[in-house]
Amino acid sequence: MNSEQYLPLSREAIKILEKNGCWSRSWEKVKVSSGFDPTRVAGTIFRGDVRIGRLEGHFIPMDGIRRYAGIFDANLHNVVIGDNCHISNINGWLSNLIIENEVLIENLGSFVCQGESSFGNGHAIEVLNEGGGRELKITEQTSAQTAYLSSLYRHDDKLISALDDIADKYADSVRSDRGTIGRGTYIFHCQNIVNVNVGPGAILRGVQNLKEGTVASAKDAPTFVGDGVIAKDFIIQKGAHITDGSVLASTLIGEGTKIGRQFSAENSVLFSNSEGFHSEVCSIFGGPYTVTHHRSTLLIAGMFSFFNAGSATNQSNHMYKLGPLHQGILERGCKTGSSSYLLWPSRVGAFSAVMGKHNANFDTSDFPFSYVNEEKGKSTLVPGMNFFTVGTMRDGLKWPTRDRRTNEDKLDQIVFDVLSPYTAQKMINGQRILLDLYAGAEKGQEYVNYQGILIKRLLLKTCSRYYRMALEKYFGDVLVARLQHAHPSSLNELMRTNTDAQVDDKAWVDVSGLLCSRSRLDSLLAEIKNGGIADSESLQAAVVKTKQSYGADAWAWVVKTIPAFFELEEVDTDALRTILEKWHKSSLKLLNMVEMDASKEFEGSVRIGFGIDGQADADFAAVRGTFEENSFKKQLDDMREQVEKSLAQGLDILNKL
Amino acid sequence: MSTLEQIKQVVAELLKIDESRIQEDSKFVEDLGADSMQSIELVAAFEEAFDIEMDEDAALGVKTVGDAVTFIDAVLAKG
Repeated sequence: MNSEQYLPLSREAIKILEKNGCWSRSWEKVKVSSGFDPTRVAGTIFRGDVRIGRLEGHFIPMDGIRRYAGIFDANLHNVVIGDNCHISNINGWLSNLIIENEVLIENLGSFVCQGESSFGNGHAIEVLNEGGGRELKITEQTSAQTAYLSSLYRHDDKLISALDDIADKYADSVRSDRGTIGRGTYIFHCQNIVNVNVGPGAILRGVQNLKEGTVASAKDAPTFVGDGVIAKDFIIQKGAHITDGSVLASTLIGEGTKIGRQFSAENSVLFSNSEGFHSEVCSIFGGPYTVTHHRSTLLIAGMFSFFNAGSATNQSNHMYKLGPLHQGILERGCKTGSSSYLLWPSRVGAFSAVMGKHNANFDTSDFPFSYVNEEKGKSTLVPGMNFFTVGTMRDGLKWPTRDRRTNEDKLDQIVFDVLSPYTAQKMINGQRILLDLYAGAEKGQEYVNYQGILIKRLLLKTCSRYYRMALEKYFGDVLVARLQHAHPSSLNELMRTNTDAQVDDKAWVDVSGLLCSRSRLDSLLAEIKNGGIADSESLQAAVVKTKQSYGADAWAWVVKTIPAFFELEEVDTDALRTILEKWHKSSLKLLNMVEMDASKEFEGSVRIGFGIDGQADADFAAVRGTFEENSFKKQLDDMREQVEKSLAQGLDILNKL
Repeated sequence: MSTLEQIKQVVAELLKIDESRIQEDSKFVEDLGADSMQSIELVAAFEEAFDIEMDEDAALGVKTVGDAVTFIDAVLAKG
């Protein structure tokens, strides 16, 4: 709508409005679109410049009760109201707002814009280090990846300055003295909303207090903010769902993230598909799929992704010396067991399970898929063991299926792969370190110490073999996929890598959900620093491009790494056949070990408590079923079948090259 | 020392139990109290004691001391 489309009220329209209990000191400031129906406005006070669109027809929101377009018992001050809105029972004011078409606002305290606001955009929050130093300027365009760079690359002044400029530029672009309520938004029974932008299709129901923030939303990814929610200095991204008295302060809630049951967050980000219920988070960097469900859990000053917090999970970032300035990292895929405790600073390798209380500061990032245990007060590590557990396999299968984001323009770029160059290069290093530790240990020694944690000497060789097995599976998985999908007619064609693939000898990185080679990330950073990327849109496009390069870069890394790993002078078809056979063996071993782990859920002691007055087996079978009938067991059987088929198919293709 | 005697020695040391408690039909988990981590450590300890390499999944499928004797003897026989 533009100002020319609005017309002054006719005398007749003013007469009808006044008859309906409306009042204005200066009716000339109220303008309406052609076809405005004054009979649909009643009991309304007009102050300042008010623009009203057409008021026709009706709509039926989710409560099933028909609402007619119109304005009833409202106080309007400097507002533009789009076509066919229903506004009723506004006890305070709708002030300084642009209300787009087909918006429903009912039984509201007030929704006002006071002075200029950037609606939470550009607000700096103290993520990861509660003592400060990693301030992240949040905007509705902030992705897990851009936040990671802003928070973790503080040593690179030029980069941080460029990223801050991009955030500031975005904040300036939305800065206004008018708030916006997007098309098709429904706002019911809310109390006070101040300096908040709401995107199209959002539903705000029973919200208590929102101040200085943005509720991004889209028709294809509506956002819900529900009963009793209090939020200040916040960004809520598309498709998020926030309910039940949750309290957010200086916090970003990512796309498809669910928050509820009195969860509280301060100075934190919780990116896409995270879940926060009951518990408390403070200064956390919650990457995609950070999940905390239990009332007694506190996550503080940590970085997480694909993470599941057990009940009463806790950490300390305070040594009572210089303040709460320590931080911790749990790399992707970690879990913490009930009542686990970690003393920051510590870093836990990817896909590891932490059990018990840990008062040591350790770094296990060289050892993915590990158990971090507590034995008699000491922290111990079992490297690689978690690769063979049913939990890790189930997690890997479930995450992609639980992507709740429905918008096309997803912000966070996620590579879901459990086995990837990122974990593979860590396992290659881990394997070497374990063998070195074994070679250097005395036979009578029970433990060796590595970066603050103890590893049983007896397990050093076993665990290095676990890594080898996992690596044989990974390289084989990639080769099988390549054979099946690339339709190669020659060995050269099979092993060809993209000319624009970027890999090097440096470690792959996990940019909060996005896996990429170091050189690929360096190119992105260089472009940001040299000004080639200078706004949110081009930054997001570059991050998307990085994700799109993952497959080609991963293949190039595999091709580069295979000869050394398998000790091959030449990668010919015979060598590839051997790799496939090793893959076949390792895959079946993995499935057998996972099955053994899963079968424990059906063995003796797990029946305790079943058949409370007898007939334990029958009660167990009725409630839990049998292992043979278990759906996961069947899935494992299908996987075995698939391994056999893929081997046959792969060998067949190789034979034809 | 026979395979059985050597296995008993390893098991007693690792699980910190008296060797006399260990019988050929003793189950590692149910009778001797090995937890899942100790089962893995037992495999590693057998490997070191007999200087062999055991197939991980097959070894973890071994439930009794007698099974372990058969398994290890078979590995030793293969050389």
